[in-house]
Amino acid sequence: MSLYVLEGLRPWVIQRVSAVYIVLFILYASYCFFTADVIAYEAWKGWLYYPFHTTVTGIFVIAVLFHAWIGMRDVVLDYVHNIMLRIFIFGVFVGVLIGSGLWVFRILLLSVAA
Amino acid sequence: MLNQRLMTDNRPVYLNLIKIRLPLAGIVSFAHRISGVLLFLFLPFSVYLLEQSLHSAESFDSVRQLLNQPLMMVLQVLVLWSISHHFFAGIRFLLIDAEIGVEKSQAYYGAWLVLLAEAVTMLLIIIGVCS
Repeated sequence: MSLYVLEGLRPWVIQRVSAVYIVLFILYASYCFFTADVIAYEAWKGWLYYPFHTTVTGIFVIAVLFHAWIGMRDVVLDYVHNIMLRIFIFGVFVGVLIGSGLWVFRILLLSVAA
Repeated sequence: MLNQRLMTDNRPVYLNLIKIRLPLAGIVSFAHRISGVLLFLFLPFSVYLLEQSLHSAESFDSVRQLLNQPLMMVLQVLVLWSISHHFFAGIRFLLIDAEIGVEKSQAYYGAWLVLLAEAVTMLLIIIGVCS
């Protein structure tokens, strides 16, 4: 397949760098969750819209989107061999990922607007 | 003569997936893939829940009520498994990239360790949530 969809070593590196960041974020977020006094609306909103947490969550979302794209791309490359079908599925994946990403960023940036 | 040879040849012409016994490391690897695909599928729904949980105190409570429904409980256990498995199996693959645990016997114990870690994590979280 000659269509350029992140070929060569670069996706391999992105997959691993994003994985390490995701692990660190999950550990930190879990720590915050399990040491929280209450799980309630105000506390949750206050946590996420604290600038440091908005930032690390934003980076986490970007890491997840790249990680998911490369992972799903690999799955399709392994099991789907029809070129046109591949391109169609890639299109759907890109739509879902970019759509979800923009949606999350809208949510994260609402704190700035509010 | 070629035909004769082909007819008496016992080599498998295609792979019968049911007859292949996948080693434990292979099962962990394939489950890593399945859990990854599941997490991708959960992605849009997770973003929806994130938005609802932040919109207002009422919508936060409605997310709570939604997640307390039996069907959602099953879904959450599935998400919890996907994250736990993908997390620990992923760390194992990172270590293997760093050439830790590559040898055959180590790979076997590494795969067991992943299953043990994810089982313990899931158990602790489920107990923590229920208590």
